[in-house]
Amino acid sequence: MYYYVLESPSSRAVRQTYQKLRDTLTNLGIAGEMVTASPARTPTELTQMGISKGYSTIVAVGADDHIDEVAIASLGKAVLGIVPVNASRLVTGLIGTSDIRGSAESLKKRRLTTHSVVVIEPDSAFFLDAHILPPKIAKVSLVIDNKVRVHSYFNTLRIDRGLNIFIESAHVSEPKKIFGLFKRASETLTSQSTFHAKQVRIVTEPALALIVGNAKVAQTPLELRLLPESLKLITKRGTVLE
Amino acid sequence: MLKGQIQDGESTGPGTVVGVNVALSGTLKDQNDVSVYGMVDGEVVSEKTVTVGQSAQIKGPIRGKIITVAGVVRGSIDASEKLEVMETGKIFGSVVTKDFVVRSGAQITGKVTMGMDDDAAVETADSEPDPDNAEETLAEAQAEAKEESSLPLSDEVELKPDEE
Repeated sequence: MYYYVLESPSSRAVRQTYQKLRDTLTNLGIAGEMVTASPARTPTELTQMGISKGYSTIVAVGADDHIDEVAIASLGKAVLGIVPVNASRLVTGLIGTSDIRGSAESLKKRRLTTHSVVVIEPDSAFFLDAHILPPKIAKVSLVIDNKVRVHSYFNTLRIDRGLNIFIESAHVSEPKKIFGLFKRASETLTSQSTFHAKQVRIVTEPALALIVGNAKVAQTPLELRLLPESLKLITKRGTVLE
Repeated sequence: MLKGQIQDGESTGPGTVVGVNVALSGTLKDQNDVSVYGMVDGEVVSEKTVTVGQSAQIKGPIRGKIITVAGVVRGSIDASEKLEVMETGKIFGSVVTKDFVVRSGAQITGKVTMGMDDDAAVETADSEPDPDNAEETLAEAQAEAKEESSLPLSDEVELKPDEE
């Protein structure tokens, strides 16, 4: 049986979407227990309650940060299903559908795929992409697998669930005078780097937040570790995985 | 209950790219392509291609299948299939490769060994010439060469322009 953890509705439209989802799930014969998160009951607590009740499939209904929280709480204990409501393309691309009907049908068909997650030492984790977004260009140092040291400046740093690290920077160089006469035009220097690791230590200057969706999940310095193929996820049949 | 279980393709990874404003130290090893545009102090190893961009500076050995150099490399290069040095490329170190392309303007300072299979290299190393039998060995080799080829034995080598 399925245990649905709904994100706290942010608008009337979302409430209507939830009602439509209830009807669709009932028609498909997979309507299980539905609980809604609130400040009093976090998605993590609700997920743990569902697992303790013996549910083997937990379905996260909501946007990215809610889905990520439910995913991590169900890690290794239950299969994860997703019904995206105001979720990003990252989520809809992952499960292979963006609408309520399509995701409900996927839940019924139960095609399972396994995915890695990233553990944030000591006791946290993330499943969807995490970002570090400094207000202005900042300095980052990485120690990858205790073998490679990387120093760079960055504007955005993204980490996906495979512990692939994407660093991007763009800064405008100041115009320079040549022989005190001519000014060389300023130019934008862009830099893109990609690294992948099994474990990595990330230090930024200054200390910055690690964000998943809109939620802050940790702060630098970070110790991250790959937990390969540890999450079982229900996806649409025929989905081409990246 | 579980109808089907497949694994996603995360293990393959996207390869490694060292950006322009990145300084890296240590052994950079990847099963996929490696591209360097910044500074690397250490070994660079790939089972596929290694691209050294124009802005790159590498201080250490490079190993890969196909290696393209447009930046500066201070260290040995071992390209198991092909090494291409672009106009802006500078290499200070020995080179071992099968196929070697050097563009006009490139700089190479070091010993270049090319066109030799691993087996042939081992064979050459095993059959060190014996000074006592040198004349005999030379005569045997010339006889074998005559049999295999109708071309006369000479020092003339025909040079062909690089076909690109």
